[in-house]
Amino acid sequence: VSAWSEHVTAALLGTQRRPVPPLDEAPAGPAEPAARLLDQAALLTVRRRAGWRPVTAEPVAPAPAESAPLVPSDAAERLRRILSGEHARVLAEWLDAAARTGRRVPPRLLPELLHKGRSDRALRPSIARAAGRRGVWLAMRNVDWAYLVVASGGADVEDPEVWQTGTRAQRVAHLLRLRATDPTAARVTLSSTWAREPAPERARFLAAFERGLSLADEDFLEAALDDRGLEVRRIAADLLARLLGSAYAWRMTDRARACLRPEAGSPGGPKQAVTPLPDQALARPPVRIVAHPPEHHDEAMLRDGIPYHATERVGNRAGWLREILARTPLTTWTTLFGLPPARIAALPIATDGSGAPPDEHGRRDVHLGWARAAARQRDAAWARALLRGDDVLGDVPALVGLLDALPAGEREDATAEAVPRIEDHTDRLTVLERVPAPWAGALADVVIAALDAAVAGSTAGRFPADLCRLSGERLDPATAPRLDELAGRHPGYGPLSELAEVLRFRHDMLAELR
Amino acid sequence: MSAGADSVEHVIERWGRERVLALAPDASSRPAAAEVAGPAKWRSTGCDGCAVWGEFQGGGRSSYRVSVDLSEPAFRCPCPSRKAPCKHALGLLLLWSDGDVAEDAPPAPVAEWLARHRDRTVRAPDGRAAGGEAPVRSPKTAEQRERRVAAGLEELDRWLRDQVAQGLAHADRAPGTVWDDVARRLVDAQAGALASQVRELGSLPADGRLERLLEEYSLLRLLVTAFRRRDELPEPLRATVRSRVGFTVSQEEVLAGAKVRDRWYVAGCRDVEQDRLIARRVWLRGQDTGRSALVLSFAAPGRALDASLAVGDTVDAELAFYPGALPLRALVAARHAAPVRRPPRGTTVAGLLREHADALARDPWLERWPAVLAGVRPARDDAGRPYLVDADGAALPLRRADVWRLCSVSGGRPFTVSGEWSPRGLVPLSAWQEEEGAVVL
Repeated sequence: VSAWSEHVTAALLGTQRRPVPPLDEAPAGPAEPAARLLDQAALLTVRRRAGWRPVTAEPVAPAPAESAPLVPSDAAERLRRILSGEHARVLAEWLDAAARTGRRVPPRLLPELLHKGRSDRALRPSIARAAGRRGVWLAMRNVDWAYLVVASGGADVEDPEVWQTGTRAQRVAHLLRLRATDPTAARVTLSSTWAREPAPERARFLAAFERGLSLADEDFLEAALDDRGLEVRRIAADLLARLLGSAYAWRMTDRARACLRPEAGSPGGPKQAVTPLPDQALARPPVRIVAHPPEHHDEAMLRDGIPYHATERVGNRAGWLREILARTPLTTWTTLFGLPPARIAALPIATDGSGAPPDEHGRRDVHLGWARAAARQRDAAWARALLRGDDVLGDVPALVGLLDALPAGEREDATAEAVPRIEDHTDRLTVLERVPAPWAGALADVVIAALDAAVAGSTAGRFPADLCRLSGERLDPATAPRLDELAGRHPGYGPLSELAEVLRFRHDMLAELR
Repeated sequence: MSAGADSVEHVIERWGRERVLALAPDASSRPAAAEVAGPAKWRSTGCDGCAVWGEFQGGGRSSYRVSVDLSEPAFRCPCPSRKAPCKHALGLLLLWSDGDVAEDAPPAPVAEWLARHRDRTVRAPDGRAAGGEAPVRSPKTAEQRERRVAAGLEELDRWLRDQVAQGLAHADRAPGTVWDDVARRLVDAQAGALASQVRELGSLPADGRLERLLEEYSLLRLLVTAFRRRDELPEPLRATVRSRVGFTVSQEEVLAGAKVRDRWYVAGCRDVEQDRLIARRVWLRGQDTGRSALVLSFAAPGRALDASLAVGDTVDAELAFYPGALPLRALVAARHAAPVRRPPRGTTVAGLLREHADALARDPWLERWPAVLAGVRPARDDAGRPYLVDADGAALPLRRADVWRLCSVSGGRPFTVSGEWSPRGLVPLSAWQEEEGAVVL
């Protein structure tokens, strides 16, 4: 027992009950026990503090060396401000801009950054790109940040061993990586364990085939149409619908041709339906389309991914028509009508029987079906043609799909053209949400005009504020002076002056990361 | 470094954002200030060498004329916020820091305020000196106070002996207010410093509390004994004892004493609440003399603290030390050049412990000692608790739960860590790393 613990025990119980332990090195002190105990304890306390000895501990394994340089110091300072809550929504843009020029976040800011990714999943890919090797090294030491180890993948996900032993997320990452480099090897890998994977796993793995999809995958996908899992069947059918030239595509083409028929016009005479031979252009150009939605649903349709009950609020027959057209190669129509997509999309459409007047609903069903096909097949000519009409404007997913199918250079102008024609405010915002920053040119013009109108008018609800918020994230920072001017014309409207401020903030931010 | 810039600078160069935000009275003030710092929200802004002013245009009707005197700094804003500085004053400074405020001559109301305000400051120097009683005026009052303190300490001694005689286990069951009562009597006896030390005993952590109580009680009695024998003590030790009891030395006296010029590395800054005030401890380390120094400042909660020493800077300055056996607390008497950033000189773990032992030999009541440890790496013990280990394998425990920033900055490689050392562990305050320079932890 050390002298110190003897003194602690005595003090604990009290010198009235316990004698004062002897301490030879203490100078002669007072006779009173309590005073002597305290004096001796003072000596021991200072001795213990001054004589403190170092201990041993295991050093943390060092992080791998970095190849990317740090961002400049003013950019780092701005990141600190963003992380502490200033214009927090521009964080992803900061990270992406840093990653674009091959630079990384300074380690002192990593803990706060990784903390943000805990609650905000959408940030994780951006964090993974800019956090450097230090970020992954740090994340391996804190379970809260484990997502980063998964998100950044790294060498360990490439290891074939991962397919046998990894977690579900690691296995998906492994398969995605393999699909990008060697789709056949990925298919072989998946086939090797396919039969014993549970249905949710099969669905997630099959979804990875979106990468590197080709006719070589057809047999595998065709077999998956008979899978026990509903979700697996749905994914297989959707993937097959992108594969032009497959047996699936031919089955759909047959169904589709029974649904839409061109009607040739004859000068002066009554309109006459023509039943052309397959793959043979019409002698006379068609002047309208007659739609015959399927009368019946059958097992073969179900197998090919056409459900009995449409997911949308339309009649069953209309739903089947939309699904069939959405899964049919668009070349079917250019061949059948002998016209370019723009002309086909301009033709009037009647439902059921020649001589019927053109009808709105039929036209909408057909155009939406085509729009989904154009999005799936990434057919720019059809996308352009369908965007010219009004039928797709009311359906946000279809509209967004068409815009995505356009070449990147055209997308912005096409959005600028489409957005003012959308009547519903929520739909407008949803479409704009899908257009990545920076908005410049015609799109910026349209958005600024919309802001002006929304703030000036008595537009109800949150639309003006929401549009300001989104514009703050997306508008090209070079538009800041125009927003200043706009804010000057609507003084007292907070969101607008905030928008001008965010743009200036982003302008400086991007300049620092250039 | 010996550029003859002895003249006191009247023109203040533009501050960095970091320095402006260091004035924020609390965490929520920072984002609030950043929010009002947009140029669109300000009108008629201007600045000269020692003041910044402008008119804030809030959303709606509110509009405030804000002025900041940079020399102290002091703030004026008619907004209803009780914080000082309020978000408007901070926002104005941020705007200025970003270079968005043009030079101008102060308008009449601002010039008037500056003049009035400076006048007041000159008449009441050091109005916020801490724990400060009014300086003792006449020999008679001084004698009176000496007697009252002595009597108060005798009473404390009786109480301490009584505690130990009855047993500390007994005291452990007593309510936390027992120390408040003792502290109150010490305040009455005009032994202020001792009173706050006793009051803090009420907030000792439960873990190992009785052992700590014995340590603290024994050192309190040591102080009583030392005060009783003050006439026999050598002068420096007597000064230490007197200051630990609560006798203050005026800044004038300190500044009149000898000064130490060095390139002082600002190793760390820590704010703690003490007696309803916020106390800021800034630790300095002389790069040539190897001396340590502590610059204390105080402010009421919600008021700005002194931000003139920025962590990570190396400042060529003269310090005037308060008298004592171990001169540690100091005032900045003069600055000779703008601060620079350069890697600090550090010690090993063994070096720190040797220094600390020497310091305790001179001042046994020493509570903490500044550490600047070079070439240390983060480490863990078997239970996963954080440590720092140096090149010789000597490890010190870290007394902080969140060590992620420290860990991230080091990347597991040797770097320099500064902090407050006590045998209970090192409180890390800043780091220096080759790539990132100074980092506040």
